[in-house]
Amino acid sequence: MKVHVKNWHAIAQWRWDTGAADADDDGEGDVCGICRVPYEGCCPSCKMPGDDCPLIWGECSHVFHMHCLLQWIGTSSSKQQCPMDRRPWVTAERKVDRTNNAR
Amino acid sequence: MATEALQRQIQGKWQNSFARLNRDQQGITGLLGFSESWTLATDFLHPRDLNDPKANREWDMTQVRNAVETLSRSKMLPLLLENFLEEMRKQQYLITNDVNELMRQYENTEDIHHIARLIYRLLEWYRAWVPISELGHTILSAYTLTFQTHIYSTLPPSFSRGFKQLINATFDLAGTRTAPPWIPPTPAPLQSSLPIPRPDLPLWSSFEQLGMLDRYESLISSVCYEHIEAHILETCTRKWGERMLQPLREWMTNKIVPWMVMPYARGARTAEEARSMLQGVGSRFDFHVCKTLSDLRTREIFDIIIDFPDSQPALEDLKECLQRVDQRSQLVQTLRKANRKRLLHPGADTKDIIAQYVSIIRCLRLVDPPGVLLFKVADPIRRYLRERPDTIRCIVASLVGDGESGDSLVDENEPIQPLQQMQVEDYTDPSWEPEPIDAGPDFRTNKPSDVISTLVSIYDSKDLFVRELQVLLAQRLLAITDGNFDRERRNIEILKIRFGEAALQVCEVMLRDMTDSKRIDQHVQSQKNMILRPTIISRHFWPPLQAGKFTMPGQFKQIQDDYASEFHLFKPDKMLRWLPLLGTIHLEIELEDRTVPADVPPLEAAFIELFSQRDTWTVDELVASVGSVDRPAAIKALTTWVDLGVLKDEGGNRYRLLEVAEDGFSSSSGAPRPARIVEEVPAVLTVEQQQADQMKVYWKACFIEGMLTNLGMLPLDRIQTMLKFAPGYDRTVEQLGAFMEAARREGLVTASNGLWKLSKR
Repeated sequence: MKVHVKNWHAIAQWRWDTGAADADDDGEGDVCGICRVPYEGCCPSCKMPGDDCPLIWGECSHVFHMHCLLQWIGTSSSKQQCPMDRRPWVTAERKVDRTNNAR
Repeated sequence: MATEALQRQIQGKWQNSFARLNRDQQGITGLLGFSESWTLATDFLHPRDLNDPKANREWDMTQVRNAVETLSRSKMLPLLLENFLEEMRKQQYLITNDVNELMRQYENTEDIHHIARLIYRLLEWYRAWVPISELGHTILSAYTLTFQTHIYSTLPPSFSRGFKQLINATFDLAGTRTAPPWIPPTPAPLQSSLPIPRPDLPLWSSFEQLGMLDRYESLISSVCYEHIEAHILETCTRKWGERMLQPLREWMTNKIVPWMVMPYARGARTAEEARSMLQGVGSRFDFHVCKTLSDLRTREIFDIIIDFPDSQPALEDLKECLQRVDQRSQLVQTLRKANRKRLLHPGADTKDIIAQYVSIIRCLRLVDPPGVLLFKVADPIRRYLRERPDTIRCIVASLVGDGESGDSLVDENEPIQPLQQMQVEDYTDPSWEPEPIDAGPDFRTNKPSDVISTLVSIYDSKDLFVRELQVLLAQRLLAITDGNFDRERRNIEILKIRFGEAALQVCEVMLRDMTDSKRIDQHVQSQKNMILRPTIISRHFWPPLQAGKFTMPGQFKQIQDDYASEFHLFKPDKMLRWLPLLGTIHLEIELEDRTVPADVPPLEAAFIELFSQRDTWTVDELVASVGSVDRPAAIKALTTWVDLGVLKDEGGNRYRLLEVAEDGFSSSSGAPRPARIVEEVPAVLTVEQQQADQMKVYWKACFIEGMLTNLGMLPLDRIQTMLKFAPGYDRTVEQLGAFMEAARREGLVTASNGLWKLSKR
């Protein structure tokens, strides 16, 4: 017997590739440390998730909604530090290379 | 021993009487003359027997008049009258005999002919005995009174019946010129100068002379009422397609008014006079027309509403009638009763109830624009609907225009408006009007007036609707395979106007996911031709979907992985997570003797793929090789293939692939049965399922479990009180109770005397 697939309509969810995402399967997922909204959600000032409300990676390995972080960095009290560990915020290169290499 | 004084007194009286009777004439000639006159007058006035021809003799009227004159001068008229009435009383048996005879004939034959004869006979008696007018008015009226008293005491009860029949028969005479047999062809002599319009005029005159019009007034009008009622019932029952009130009024003018002239305005000389005489009674009859019609329509109201757009004229009639007749509370009562009996019972479909409710809204708004009636009628329906679990779903389904049921609740022509909220009354508004007089205390004038707002206002918050809307939209979008969701987009745009942009933001994201998926797919297909066309969704923005984990075997896994890596190339910072239970796959199974095409859910596809490795599998083996799958779901998937004749259930959980078709299935490859397995399990969890899932969180989060572990046994309300400390807990005690009950069925807890405790495991 042979099974020929003619057509397949599937449903999938997208996730940000944060490197650590594989661990959680059905939980709410990781949340942005600033707005406490899941990464796949959108920051309070956005309405559309995904490409309209992207993430930002720090050298310190912390990940935030880009809009949240930029707003934080914009305030004087932030002293340009990562809100999680108070190290100076340095935006990391996208993890694109890492994941691509991993595959 | 008469004293002198007494004797004198008697003498004086005697002299007086003598002088009066003798009228100052010589000797006793006056007295003789008086005596003669008295005899003549009493003879003349003697109530004679009509049946006795001898009694009917000619009188010299001058003599009689002179005699009466004489008596009058002697002031003996009262005595004469007394004498006459006494004579009458003695002769009354003659009339009684006639009455009895004719009534007996009537009772035997039920022929109104006899009643008419009776009337004329009585009139004959009356005329025969009537004193001449020279005797003065007093005598005449005393005579009439005595005569009528007698005949009314003689007439048996059945006379009323016959009389009614007789009156009823006069309606049919309206147009005819020829008199029926029971009306004498020669008109009665005393007549007004009016040209005789109707053949029954003599009959009515007889009634009047006998005083029957006054006495039987209510009887006559009741005959007319009944006539009107019968006509309305005959012409208007279940005729809702046209206005009836106007034709009825014309009918009144043409048929009833000419008749009414007889009993009520016979004496009128001009049309003007007749009109003023008929005014009072006419408006009474017009009222009766309205009342009868509104009674009829009230009885029919439920069916009128069912027929609604076609029955609009009937409703307009009703509206007009209700303005004249105060039957509003009857209408409310009847409709409420009908609703309770025919609508608000478990046998009625929620969709039908809502449809009827909408019709009621439309109909009663037509009848009563301020909405008082509607408010009173709608209240039980709304309360009932609130208790139905699927009300919201039905309303939402009709909001987005359910494909199956052609008639949407929403009128296409109705302008789309935002939901109206209740407003506080604005008393500074110069056109403010007080609430209608029969409005109840809860009534609000500024009720939302469009149908959708009314439906949504059944529930206190519109959030429930928005949530249900999301579920519905998700179901529809996921079912779309051809990428055409214009209809959904249009619906959402319409609903945005109603519910507001913010409430539907999530739906907006869902729609954008659809367009994005299409775009991404186009890109991926341009890179590499794939048979897989996924819908990629943003989680957190879709209602919870059927979760479940299993890995697609063989070529399916390969296809998924290929697609995922293409996607990753296109969107480097994102990855895909497949929802394995969802979607449909179009397959063709190529067997030795046939090919079977099928549209199946992924689990079915996964199983059949496994069968390509080996011919016989047990259920447990299959489940183990795809990962975690419910056993019932697995068996259902296998049954699908058994139904298609691809697999065979060999018992003992074993299934075997049928490379060659067995008997009972069309083995020839020429006619492959096109099979479409409709996915019965909806992809999206319903709101109730979502709530149950959330409840599990409270259990899992060790709230309840921990509570019961630490405190042993707890009553339900204690659990509720403690759960209220948990963040975001918003369930009612009832919901908690239902959940605990479910937990008991699963064997997690036991209950005794209202106390819950963990079951020992």
